[in-house]
Amino acid sequence: MLEALFQPTIIISMLAGMVRIATPILLAALGVLITNRAGIMNLGFEGIMLMGAYVGFWAAHQTQSIPLAILAAIVSGGLMSLIMVFMASTLKVDQTVTGIALNILASGLTFYWYRVAYKAATAQVMPSVEIMQRVEIPILSQIPVLGRVFFSQYLLTYFAFLMVPCMWFFLYKTKYGLELRCLGENPRAIDMKGINITRLQYITVIAGGMLGGLGGAFLTIASAGIFVPEISAGRGWLAIVVVIAGNWLPFRILMATLIFSFLDAFQLQAQSLGVQFPYQILLALPYVAAIVLIIVSRARSEAPSALGVPYFRE
Amino acid sequence: MQGSTLMQAHEPILRTDNLTKRFGNVVANKAISFQVNKGEIHCLLGENGAGKTTLAECLYGFYRLDSGEIYLKGEKAKIDSPRDAVNLGIGMVHQHFVLVRPLTVLENIVVGTDAAQPILDLSKARKRLEKLCSEYGITLDLTAKVWQLSVGEQQWVEILKALFSGVELLVLDEPTAVLTPQEADKLFDILAKMKADGLSIIFITHKLREVMAVSDRVTVLRKGEKVATVNTNEVTQSDLAQMMVGRQVAFRVTKGKARTGAPLLEVRNLCVRNDRGQEALKGVSLQVRRGEIVGVAGVSGNGQRELFESIVGVRRVEQGQVVFNGKDITNDEPRSIAARGVAHIPEDRLSEGLVPDFSISENLILGLHNRGRFFWRGIYLDSREVKDFSSKCIDEFDIVTPSADQKTSNLSGGNLQRVILARELATNPQCLVANQPTRGLDVGAIEYVYRRLIEQRDEGVGVLLFSEDLDEILNLADRIIVFFRGETVGTLKAEEATREGIGLLMAGIVEGDQ
Amino acid sequence: MTVLGLRFERREKVSRRWQFVTLALAFLASALVSSLLIIFARASVGEAFAALFAGAFGSWKAFLETLVKATPLILTGLSVTVAFRAKIWSIGAEGQLLTGAMAGYWVGANLTSLPPVLLFLAILAAAFAGGAVCGWIPGYLKAKLRVDEVIVTVMLNYVVIFLLSYLLANPWREPAQYYHMTPSVPEVAHFPVLFARSRLHIGFVVALVSSVLVFWLLHKTCLGYEIRGIGLNPTAVKFKGVNVARVTILTMVISGGLAGLAGAGEVMGLHHRLKADISTGIGFTGIIIAMLAGLNPLGVIPAAILFGGLVNGSNRMQILTGVPTAMVYTIQGVVLLLFLSARAMAMYRVRRVRNA
Repeated sequence: MLEALFQPTIIISMLAGMVRIATPILLAALGVLITNRAGIMNLGFEGIMLMGAYVGFWAAHQTQSIPLAILAAIVSGGLMSLIMVFMASTLKVDQTVTGIALNILASGLTFYWYRVAYKAATAQVMPSVEIMQRVEIPILSQIPVLGRVFFSQYLLTYFAFLMVPCMWFFLYKTKYGLELRCLGENPRAIDMKGINITRLQYITVIAGGMLGGLGGAFLTIASAGIFVPEISAGRGWLAIVVVIAGNWLPFRILMATLIFSFLDAFQLQAQSLGVQFPYQILLALPYVAAIVLIIVSRARSEAPSALGVPYFRE
Repeated sequence: MQGSTLMQAHEPILRTDNLTKRFGNVVANKAISFQVNKGEIHCLLGENGAGKTTLAECLYGFYRLDSGEIYLKGEKAKIDSPRDAVNLGIGMVHQHFVLVRPLTVLENIVVGTDAAQPILDLSKARKRLEKLCSEYGITLDLTAKVWQLSVGEQQWVEILKALFSGVELLVLDEPTAVLTPQEADKLFDILAKMKADGLSIIFITHKLREVMAVSDRVTVLRKGEKVATVNTNEVTQSDLAQMMVGRQVAFRVTKGKARTGAPLLEVRNLCVRNDRGQEALKGVSLQVRRGEIVGVAGVSGNGQRELFESIVGVRRVEQGQVVFNGKDITNDEPRSIAARGVAHIPEDRLSEGLVPDFSISENLILGLHNRGRFFWRGIYLDSREVKDFSSKCIDEFDIVTPSADQKTSNLSGGNLQRVILARELATNPQCLVANQPTRGLDVGAIEYVYRRLIEQRDEGVGVLLFSEDLDEILNLADRIIVFFRGETVGTLKAEEATREGIGLLMAGIVEGDQ
Repeated sequence: MTVLGLRFERREKVSRRWQFVTLALAFLASALVSSLLIIFARASVGEAFAALFAGAFGSWKAFLETLVKATPLILTGLSVTVAFRAKIWSIGAEGQLLTGAMAGYWVGANLTSLPPVLLFLAILAAAFAGGAVCGWIPGYLKAKLRVDEVIVTVMLNYVVIFLLSYLLANPWREPAQYYHMTPSVPEVAHFPVLFARSRLHIGFVVALVSSVLVFWLLHKTCLGYEIRGIGLNPTAVKFKGVNVARVTILTMVISGGLAGLAGAGEVMGLHHRLKADISTGIGFTGIIIAMLAGLNPLGVIPAAILFGGLVNGSNRMQILTGVPTAMVYTIQGVVLLLFLSARAMAMYRVRRVRNA
């Protein structure tokens, strides 16, 4: 049975799945990256993705418009992270507990809203939306193997992957990126130069949350077409893990994301082929891998030095 | 860099009028009015806690004034943020550098200035900086990452930050705290050059010697208020000391001759790494005997902290030995080292010595709590015993507090140090290792610490004292060891030591090296 | 920070009165948000609150059921309290509860030949041990390898859920049942009920006793002194001879064990079998309870009863007014956020600025 997994067509399918699965995680991870660079550890990304998933779904259901749904999801991510940055930057509350509180809030709110909006829904008859269509890039999608894997994906996927070099450029070649890198390392240094730390933090964290919301939306309007409670299933946490594993560097984060996504794609493929293997082990694989990755990467960590530390002027 | 043509030399470039700044209930600056003339080096002198740094940070716009005005070049200035200050030509070099370690010197200087365009192109800025460096004789690799630089070099980055923005009034906060005497002299030379170029300089310090060496005029602050502004050439050091403290200050500590005994603590060829994995100690050896104070002189950052931590048991020793009373205690647990009779006073009272949110009595039993005295069978609390012990300590060491159950964070610096002393000396140690024990304390507290240290010495305790304050070393130590870049570069008897001699050693210049 | 001519200054000491005011404001704000949620569900606010309260505390029977819901919350609240006191941000109570439930179940289902009292103690011991093992993992990783505990505990929660799913689907499965769950546990292993015609079982007593024990641990023992010391200043206590690694591991073992006891209560006292949904976020609610209780082991009890009441009352609210029970879960998150904000606001003093 296992040999069936190693057929060329299956492998290509797995790789295409990997790229698709990577999309939400990558978007959220880039959001986590800039949030961390601003010195804030937003553990609420799981909740942000969940909100983005639900709000995107609900908006798509109400308006039948994918662009509006995406916009709604982005706004929801921004609002969630607004709460985070207000509490972390202005009130200087402990960031860990705030993030967990956001997750609990999103968990409850999405579930509640779903129940209220779709009272008649049952396990058999669920509200659904039409999902986004793939967009094949002309010419490039005709390349054998690579064409199918990379160039026959969703618009959001192309966007996510393109964001990686954009993020690199932003961080290392622009004035704002320079200020941002200083902010996460030693906020006092740029405070002394008269840069408005609060504004920089607010804008960055909200932007990060927007990316997270966008990633969450992908789960419903590009993937499942329906909403199930807890559809984010730990992906927000994985986004945080890949940033740590990628040492806060955009390209390494991409690598780490692809590794996790490959595991997930592998597991899905194996299940669909009916491979006789306790599927729970496969499901648990990404999370175990995350734990291993965290253990291994702590040694050469280049976390922003002021990450998680509230800044006091006195 | 040239100021307005309306100004002549010796007109005040800066004037403050009843400047007041409060933090909660504490008044850090109370109605301070003083002025700085153009083209002069003006010292702000005061003890730790007198309000010098707060005043400077008000001038720099880091804090908003509660009341009072600032006048720059005769006009009322509105300084609401450091950016305003920089635009008005004020630059500041802080005591604790505000640099971004992983970034390069160039990036650190350029961030937040007009030279940082949306899409970065740092070549022009680089050229400008290279010119500035050659003008003042500063040698610095602009592409080096800050963490790679020495502390002295990092200070140059801070100074360049101010020069780069076109500063007319430069404020330096305790700049020589991290420099060897030779590096400090070089700094003074460069300040003189700046002064000749028309720059005005405010130099904050608590060291009288520097005031006499470098300033034209000096303003003395005490407990947040201005005492006086005088011309430097019209006063003596002891005049200034009296203004600083409010009473006569004894410069020399009275101590009898040491009665040294057998070797107590020995460090042999110690090799230790610092937190960044670099070699902090490269084969250090020293010896402390009973009844003597051994002073380790050296600018902070040359390995003293790592040596202190190795002896106390908190840092891993890679090679070499620490021997106490003939027993090898290298890499032992802090608990067993303390049990053998080695007490310590750490560098940072609140973060390394005490738990600020614990009560005073909880802090007093810290370290003793696991020796069975305060917890029955090591498990259950004996409140009566803890209470008795705390009362005794508070009495004996004159700790000022309404009760032993007060939170420790409410105490003043001097009282905090008394708590630590009480705790450490309660065990009747044989050896006391003290790391910068008087840093940040006012004169009264400093005198108390000196008294206790000498008392211990006279009772036969071997004291190992790390201090950046050369005067402190010269006052207290019976033998002096000089540290430089992780090695001992000289051992002298106190009688043979001179300031200049030690200064040379501290800078790494060994005899015969000229 | 200056806003609208009002300056916010940080206080040196927190005033009790101001603390009370901000907490009261937080409470009011929570009530306001709840009302908004109810309105959003197109129900009457008054009716919903009345039903909620009646369902929680309206009758003796309702109150007992509230205590049933509160029982595991006390224990997970204690679990989180112990960890957070040492500044170990363990989010793993959910997983620890499940491993405790699994261990407790196994003992209860298989060691039925033991005399009932011994069986009861064995179940408790096994549940504690099961949770302790799950807590030990992140504790060890943090102590010896300096790995951050937040992500590890969250990931571990997921792994444990899959482990449970596997056990319920295969070796422990009740045959011929659609839902994955174990067969009913033999009656001799059931936790005795405290009051007739209610579901309140002896697990509640276990919870109360645990609360007192944890208080005693933190304030009257050497280990508790060290735990608190590590939480307040790990550097200083390290200098003074505290074995931070050892205390970290012990703290996580105790924390995990307490959550495990919660699992035992749910399996042996309530459902009498092991199911996939044995915990409905009880581990995460424990975090809220611990924070609301100010990390005070005794304060956990009233906080848990309050939240138990909310969960219990929400059933009646849903039946009578149609407001989904999920509202309570939403409010939990809101309450925590408002509470954190209130606590932070209590640290500031408001002053009018003369020349803004």
